[in-house]
Amino acid sequence: MTAPSKPQTDVESAPTAVAPPPSWRRKATPYLLIAPALIYLAAFFAYPMVQGLILAVYDDEALLPLIAEPDITSAQTGKIPQGTAITILARQGNLLTEELSSDLLIEVWFQVEVAQADGSAVTGWTPESRVRIREESAEGDPLAGTIRTKLSSTADPLTDIYSEPNERSDVLAQVEPRSAARIVQTAELEVWFQVRAEDGTEGWTPSRFVQVFGDEETGRVDRGTAGEFTTRFIEKMREDRFFGSAWRTTLLLMALILPLQFILAIIMALVIHARLKFSSLFLYVFSVPMGMSDLAVGILFFSIFTGNGLLNSVLDGLGIIDSPQAFLTAESRNWIIFAIVLAEIWRATSIVMVIVVSGLQAIPDETLEAAELFGATYWQKVRHIMLPLLKPSLQVALILRTILAFQVFAVVIALGGGDVVTVLANETFRQYFALRNTNVASAYAVFILLLSIGSAVFYLRAVRTQAEMAAS
Amino acid sequence: MAIQNPPPPAWDSPEVSAQHEKMRAKGARGRIGTYVLAIGIALWIILPIFFLFSMAFTTQETVRSYPKNILPLVPFSTDTMQFFLQSDGVAEGLVNSIIVAVITLVLSTVIAAPAGYALSRFFFRGRDLFRLSILAVRAFPIVVLSIPLAVLFLRAGLFDSIFSLALMHTALALPTTILVVASVFASVPYELEEAGQVFGASPLRAFRYIVLPLVAPGIAASSVFTFVLSWNEVFAASVLTLENRTLPALVLTQLSQSSDAYQFAGGFFLMVPSLIFMFFIRKYLFNMWGQVSK
Amino acid sequence: MSEIRIEHVSKSFNGQYAVQDANLTIADGEFLVLLGPSGCGKTTLLRTVAGLGMADSGRISIDGRDVTYLKPGERKISMVFQSYAIFPHMTVRDNIGFGLKMNNVPASEIQANVAEAAELLHIENLLDRRPSDMSGGQRQRVAVARALAMKAEVLLMDEPLSNLDALLRLEMRAELKRLLADVNATTIYVTHDQIEALSMGDRIAVMKDGEIQQVDGPSTVYDHPSNQFVGSFIGNPPMNFLTGTVSAANGSVSVAVGPDQITPAAALAPALKAFDQKPVTIGIRAESMEALSSPVPGAIKVSVVVVEPLGPQNLLTVGLGDQRLKVSTHPSFPVAAGDDLWLQFPSDQIRWIDPKTEQVLS
Repeated sequence: MTAPSKPQTDVESAPTAVAPPPSWRRKATPYLLIAPALIYLAAFFAYPMVQGLILAVYDDEALLPLIAEPDITSAQTGKIPQGTAITILARQGNLLTEELSSDLLIEVWFQVEVAQADGSAVTGWTPESRVRIREESAEGDPLAGTIRTKLSSTADPLTDIYSEPNERSDVLAQVEPRSAARIVQTAELEVWFQVRAEDGTEGWTPSRFVQVFGDEETGRVDRGTAGEFTTRFIEKMREDRFFGSAWRTTLLLMALILPLQFILAIIMALVIHARLKFSSLFLYVFSVPMGMSDLAVGILFFSIFTGNGLLNSVLDGLGIIDSPQAFLTAESRNWIIFAIVLAEIWRATSIVMVIVVSGLQAIPDETLEAAELFGATYWQKVRHIMLPLLKPSLQVALILRTILAFQVFAVVIALGGGDVVTVLANETFRQYFALRNTNVASAYAVFILLLSIGSAVFYLRAVRTQAEMAAS
Repeated sequence: MAIQNPPPPAWDSPEVSAQHEKMRAKGARGRIGTYVLAIGIALWIILPIFFLFSMAFTTQETVRSYPKNILPLVPFSTDTMQFFLQSDGVAEGLVNSIIVAVITLVLSTVIAAPAGYALSRFFFRGRDLFRLSILAVRAFPIVVLSIPLAVLFLRAGLFDSIFSLALMHTALALPTTILVVASVFASVPYELEEAGQVFGASPLRAFRYIVLPLVAPGIAASSVFTFVLSWNEVFAASVLTLENRTLPALVLTQLSQSSDAYQFAGGFFLMVPSLIFMFFIRKYLFNMWGQVSK
Repeated sequence: MSEIRIEHVSKSFNGQYAVQDANLTIADGEFLVLLGPSGCGKTTLLRTVAGLGMADSGRISIDGRDVTYLKPGERKISMVFQSYAIFPHMTVRDNIGFGLKMNNVPASEIQANVAEAAELLHIENLLDRRPSDMSGGQRQRVAVARALAMKAEVLLMDEPLSNLDALLRLEMRAELKRLLADVNATTIYVTHDQIEALSMGDRIAVMKDGEIQQVDGPSTVYDHPSNQFVGSFIGNPPMNFLTGTVSAANGSVSVAVGPDQITPAAALAPALKAFDQKPVTIGIRAESMEALSSPVPGAIKVSVVVVEPLGPQNLLTVGLGDQRLKVSTHPSFPVAAGDDLWLQFPSDQIRWIDPKTEQVLS
C-alpha cells in the first residue's frame, strides 16, 4: 500500500501545531500566578511589619541638627536632643519653600515700589509690619499702602528697603514715614532662630522645630529631624503601670484556658468522630462559636455575669442568693477572670476541635479497628493510638491558640472594662488610642510578637526533641 | 470419659434472642452516653446564644428587670433590637462593615485564587518556601500588624478610611484563602483538566467548564469565611478608623457608655452572620484548618 | 477446639442486604476462604465474625460461645487487615506486642511471643524500626506477626495480599500457607482472587450478592460448581456456557446444540427429561473438551475465531453458531484462525444448568 499524498501537507503543518509553549513561559507561569499575592503581602504585611519593628526602637525625631547660617545649605554645627532647653539669640525670616504647619512662625514681607524724598522711586523688600495697607484687591490681596511711622522715639525714623526679603541683605534705600508704596508682591517667610543649647552648641534652626516660651527668648526643642535608635520606648513600656499586670494576666489566662480548652476540644472531636446520627448538626453547633467575634462573645458572657444577668437570675430563682451578686466589678477581679476564661473556652475551642477532627479523619478506620480487635478499650484506644497520632495536629492547634491567646482583647474589655483586668493587646490599644503614643504601642506589639514567636519555637522544639528521643 | 454437653439452644430460640437483646443493649448504652455528651456540649453552646437572642428580642424593660424570667422571649418584642439599630452610628457602621467585608472578600479571592492554583498545580522552585511563609504569616498576630499599618496609612493620608481597613483585612485573610483555595484545587485531579484538553478544550475552556464548577463551592465557602472574618474583626478596625467605624469597632467604643439593651442587641446582631454562614460552610472547615498540620 | 459457627446471619446497610441468611461452620483448625467479587458481602460477613460490624440477626459462636454481639476484643480472635493497619507511631516490636499488652499479658511473656512471631516471619531485624520506613512486604509481615503473636485460636484475614505487587503476592501466598498450616488456627480468609482461594483454602465459600452460593473443597468448587455463577467466577478462563435444546423421545435424551447433538450421561437423563423441548444451559470447562481437526461422530463442529498462545497451552476462541466458547489445546495442536474444528464433550465433564434458576442439575 502506498500512502496517499495528503500527509505531505500534514508534515508541514505539524511543527506549528504541536509546538510546545516556549519553556520560559511555562516556567514563569507559577511565578506570575503567585506574584499578586506576594506583592500584596509584601506591601501590606512585610513592609508594615518591618516598620512596626522600627517604630519600637527608632525615634525619628530624636535629634535637631543646628547649622551655622540661617541657610539650609550651610554647614552643621551640632545636634541637640529633643527637649533640650535653648536660648534664642537672634531671629530671621527665610523664604518658605513648602507648606508646613505646627509651631511654624511666619513673617510676611512685601516687595514695594516706594517714592523717595527726592522724588525717585525705589523697588525693594520690607516687612509687612512696616506698611499700612490702604488698598486691597477683590480677593483681599494688598495692592498699595503707606510706610508706617516708627513709634519709638529712640529709633531711626526711616524704614529700610532691602534688596531681598531678608534683613541681612543690602539696604537699597531708607524711606520716610508715610511715603506711598505700591505693593508688587508678597512673600511668606519662615522665622529662623539662632539658638544656644544648654551644652553651648549654637546654630540656626527653623522655627517649626522649636517651641518658644512666653518670654520669646527661651524655648525647647520640640522635635528633631534626625533619627536615632533608642530603648526609650521599651523602657517606657516596662515602666508603664499596666505593663506588669498586663503580661501576667495574659499568661495567667493562657495557663487557665489552654488546658481546659484542649481537653474539651478533644472530647468534642471524639464526639464528632463517633459518627452519631445528626453528626452534621452537632458539627454545626460545635463550630458556630468559631465564626463569632471575641467582642460578641464578650457581650454574651457579660449578659450572663452582669448584675441583673442570667446567672444572678438563675441563682435567685433557685433560692441560692437573696440579692444579685456583683461579679464584674473592680472588687471581683477573680470573677472577671473566671468569666473571661469561660468566654474564651466557649468561643475558641471550636477551632481546636476542627483541627483535631481533621487529624482524626486522617487516621485510617482500620488502624482504630485493629486496636479494638486486639483488645484495646475505648480509653486505651484514645490513649495509645489516637492521641499519639494526633500529635502533629495538636501541636499546630497549640501554636495557633497560644498566638491567638496573646491577642485576647475585646472579651477583656466587654467583661472587665479593661482597667481592673488588662492584657497586652488592650495596653497596645490604650497606648495607641488613648495615649497617642505610637512608639510605645509598637513596643507592646513587638513584645507580643516576640512572645508569639518564642512560644511557637518552644512548642516545635519540645515536640521535635520528644520525637528524637523516641527515635534514638 | 467425655461428658456430653447438652446441645446449645437453636439460634432463633427465645433464650438466645433474649441474651442477644441484653448484649446489644449493653453496646447501645455506650452510644447513649455519647449522645448525652454531645447534647450536653451542644447545650453549653446553644443556651448562652439563646439567652442573648431572647434579650435582643424583648422589651427594654425586660432587659433592665431583675430577676429575669427564666423562660426567655417573654414578652417577645423587637423593641430592643430596634433601639440598637436606630442608635447613632449603627446604620452607618453596618454599611461600613458590609462594604469592608465585601471588598475584603472580593480582593482576597481575586488575589488568592491564582496563587492557590499555582500551589496546587505547579512544582516550582521556592514553592515550599512560599507555602511555609504563608503558614507563618497566617499565624501572625493582628495586634502586631495594626499599629504600623495605622501609622503608614496616616502618613499616606489613608487614615480613617474603610478602604484602608479593607486592605488590612485582605492582608489578614489572604494566607488562609490561599491555602484553602490550594486545597480545594488539589481535590480536583489534574487528570480531569488534561482529559478536557485531550477532548479538544483549550486550557482555559477546560478550566472554565471542568475545574471551575468543581471548585466553585469550596471557593465560595472560603469567601464566606473571609466575610465573617472581616465582619468580626475588632482590633484593627478600632485602630484604623475613627469616624468611619465598622459595627464591631463602634460597639466596642460604645461599651462603657451604652445601656444593656444596646449591648445585648448589638452582641446578638454581630453573631448573626456566624449563625447563618457556619451552617453552609461547616463541611469546608476541615478543608480550611485540616491541612495546616500537613 | 475452636469451631466457628455462623447461623442465619444477616446484615443490611440502608435497607440493602450485604449479607443475607449466611450459614457456615468452620471446623477447628480449618482454613476457609470466603471468595466473591467485590461488593458480594464477604468482608461484611468477616467483620460480623470479628465484631467490627454487628450482625442484624442470627448467631455467631466460637468454640460454642455465643459471640454475636461481643466487642471484638472479647472474642479471642486475631486479624490481619487489608491495609495492614500497622500503628505508624510504634516500633515493630510494640506493634506485634500491642494485643498482648492490651490483654494485660506479663511483659516477659509478651517479649517471648513477639520474638517467636518475628522469627516465624523473618523480621527479627526489623523489631526496633518504625513502619514509616518499611516496604509494603515488610509491613505485611509485621501485620501477620502481630496477628500470630496473639496466639488466638481464630485468625481472620481480610484480603491480606491484595496490596502487594504480583510477584511478592505469589511468594507471600506460599509462605502464608506454610505458616498457617503450622499454627493450626481456625482461619477465615477473605479474597476476591479465585487462584488464591483455590491454592490456599481447605474449603471455599463462594458468595454473591450477600448470599453464600457454595461451600466445598477447591476441586469440588472447580469441577462441580453448584450454579452458573460459581462456574463463571472460578477458573481462568471461566466455564463455558452454551444453550442447547433438550429432546426426550422413547427413553433416550439428547440435547441439540446447533445442528449437532450431545448425549448426556445416563445418570442425568432423568433430570433432563423435564426440559423436553426446552432450552438448557451446558456448562463445560475449556480444558475438558477434546479438539479434533477432522469430524468424528458425536463431535460438534465449530470454527476458530482467535488463537491465543499462552505458553503451556493455546487458548482458542471458537464460534458455534452465534455462541462463543473457550477451548484450550496443547501448543503442538495445529490450528489457525478461520479453521474448522470438531469438539468432543466428555459426558461426565458436562454440567447441565437450568436456565431459569441457574442451578446445576444433579
